[in-house]
Amino acid sequence: MAEEKIDKKEGCVECQKKKNAQWREDFPVAWESDNYVTRREMVKFLALGSLTIAGANAVVAGLPHVVKASEMPRARIALASSIPVGGSRLFTYPSEEDPCILVRQNNGDLVAYSQVCTHLSCAVIHDEKENALFCPCHHGYFTVGEGRPYAGPPMRPLPRIKLEQQGNEIFAIGVEV
Amino acid sequence: MSTRQAQGTILFTALLVLIGIGVVVQLWLLAASVDALFRHETGTPIHAAIGSAVVFAINGLLVLYVFNFDRKIKQR
Repeated sequence: MAEEKIDKKEGCVECQKKKNAQWREDFPVAWESDNYVTRREMVKFLALGSLTIAGANAVVAGLPHVVKASEMPRARIALASSIPVGGSRLFTYPSEEDPCILVRQNNGDLVAYSQVCTHLSCAVIHDEKENALFCPCHHGYFTVGEGRPYAGPPMRPLPRIKLEQQGNEIFAIGVEV
Repeated sequence: MSTRQAQGTILFTALLVLIGIGVVVQLWLLAASVDALFRHETGTPIHAAIGSAVVFAINGLLVLYVFNFDRKIKQR
């Protein structure tokens, strides 16, 4: 036990020698003070972070107002006389990859929505019996009048297609999200 | 460390924590406004931006208080 203590002591002496090496005196490098972060520095960092986040929030809020939606094309989608009351017709708008559905309500008014369900993007169909737009994937239901979800998992309404009627022709003129 | 110094340290740490909480709240507001942006909602990001600006103002006032406090101590 006594020898071990001596060894340890000698080891400590060695450590001391290493710590007090000449090169440390010749080339002093204050690693600890270099990496030390004071509370004041942390406060400054947090304040700058706070300013940056506030700026980012302002940018996000202003983005929809600055970047205006590109002009939607005007596309002829159907003849009004070809859709009976309670009937529906599929079309694509604004591009060929955007399926939409046009429905004539019981009161005779025409409404059109994107056919892509706002839950998991399945195609919604018109359910005449329920007078609703129905998503068969997860049994989601949307009202025909407003496109609002009222049953099943969808939470957001369907994007509405703006329509314009000229004589017997129906045109799609924009998308209302 | 004197009692006065200890009080100062505690006060400073408390302010640091408060500002930290403010920054976390701002991050939450930013996440909510980005989420709303992707849902094409225009109202939520505006309210979130106003909230974020208010939190930043509070943080700024706290930081100013800290630096004024420092100045007074150094002058003494």
